[in-house]
Amino acid sequence: MQTLSLYLYLVRLQLRTRLQYRANLLIGWVAQAFGYASVYGTIWIIASRFERLGGWVWPEIALMLGFHVLGYALGALFTFVQLRGMEELVRLGTYDTLMVRPVSPWAFLAFSGINIEYGGHIALGVGMIAWALPQLGIDWSVLTVAQLVASLISAALLTGATLTIIAAMALVLTRSRYLFGIYFDFWELSRYPLTIFALPLQLTLLSIVPLGYMAYVPVAALLGKPVPLIGAAAPFAAILAGPVMVVVAMLVWQACQRRYQGAGG
Amino acid sequence: MYLALAVAGFRTEASFRAQFWFLLLSGVLNVVARVSIWQSVFQHGTGSADISLPQMVTYAILGATVFSTWEASQLVREMGADIRSGNVVSHLMRPASYPVSLMARLIGGRAHETLLIGLPVAVVMGAVYGFQPPASLGHALLFALSVALSLFLLFTLATAVATIGFWVMDTLALDWFLRGTLALFSGGLVPLWFYPDGVANAVHHLPFAWIAFYPLAIYLGQLDLMESVVTLLYGLGWAVASAGLLALLWRAACRRMVVQGG
Repeated sequence: MQTLSLYLYLVRLQLRTRLQYRANLLIGWVAQAFGYASVYGTIWIIASRFERLGGWVWPEIALMLGFHVLGYALGALFTFVQLRGMEELVRLGTYDTLMVRPVSPWAFLAFSGINIEYGGHIALGVGMIAWALPQLGIDWSVLTVAQLVASLISAALLTGATLTIIAAMALVLTRSRYLFGIYFDFWELSRYPLTIFALPLQLTLLSIVPLGYMAYVPVAALLGKPVPLIGAAAPFAAILAGPVMVVVAMLVWQACQRRYQGAGG
Repeated sequence: MYLALAVAGFRTEASFRAQFWFLLLSGVLNVVARVSIWQSVFQHGTGSADISLPQMVTYAILGATVFSTWEASQLVREMGADIRSGNVVSHLMRPASYPVSLMARLIGGRAHETLLIGLPVAVVMGAVYGFQPPASLGHALLFALSVALSLFLLFTLATAVATIGFWVMDTLALDWFLRGTLALFSGGLVPLWFYPDGVANAVHHLPFAWIAFYPLAIYLGQLDLMESVVTLLYGLGWAVASAGLLALLWRAACRRMVVQGG
């Protein structure tokens, strides 16, 4: 309980710091939303010009893109900016000072650095989902609502867990920043229907780099569209992918921390 | 001296071996994504009467390798960091123009990316997916000129955007606005001939179209030789205008700059 109140206190401190420059924060939200919306605009041009992309029409793609950016933002606000600088923490020896504190270094980094610059992502994601859902004729029930919410939480967990695994590599390899670049290359692929890619890439995005569960699998499952390779297991896979990756990330983080010998001084 | 800076830019990029492999993988994934989109819509969708799939595959491969706008984003971020920290002063004290030095470094970085990453990726992915040669020798020559014009426009526009950082101090938002504008209006991801007519009519006249769309349209022979020359001249006009805008902004920024501390 005491630890939880400490984390909440760290979050409050960070929020107060970031809210000192509100106009700057707002402009940042608008700019980032514009950056994403521009890329989505080009995807809209393709989908409307050619009617379908990978068998998906624009409202279905819009739902997937909204889901993708929202799931990412919810996971990244606790992890990305904080863990992107992990190699500097290791190289400069700053990580050593985190290890002697009476809280988990990961939790300290995540909560003390909570990044509220994702307001634009969240607004864009919610807006696109809200626009797309009424056009798709989904047969709503308590179960489908629960499925939507659970798979969104799973996408957020998947993001946080994957970024944590990459950051943990810095404890062993000292450099891991370029791995974030590779993550984002696959992450960009995961915002298209997987059916446009060749089978080996589909397999990669559903197994070794499981970013297919970020948006494609959950939205396909919700819309009742066929999912290659996993078929009827799609709704369950969409919900379980995030929690499973969290367990993997915890194991990787602990293993890397055990092997950590320090690089700076 | 600027040549030395360009060489330094090339060597700086070449010195990070791990980054090299990452950029290679990144280039391959970028091409795979773009080509997969076009294969999907041409093979399973309505296709297009204006352009064939092999032409679109070539457009995608060149767009992902030769017309990367990554350095523009890098330039805005680096210049923003220099403005914020005050390090920009050390550049201004040197007996060289800071914007021209930046351009020299950008050219060096781009040369590295094109020769050591873009070219191998284009050759390998071209062998996998198929790659079309330029429409004619004349188109090839005009394409080479248009690449130089594209680089100049990208640099001047990115530097002009980064210079606004002297007034707003935070260039993160500027970087995102630039990225969004280039994604939507340069035609690097989607050629302008697929845009809705009303939008395309306007975007065809914006300077961003010369950064990727027109060079690729010239390469593929979508414009005949005379149209290509006229288009290049039009683009040259934009290059002069954007250089003028940068010079004005730069002069105004230098006049308002106050440095505290040392």
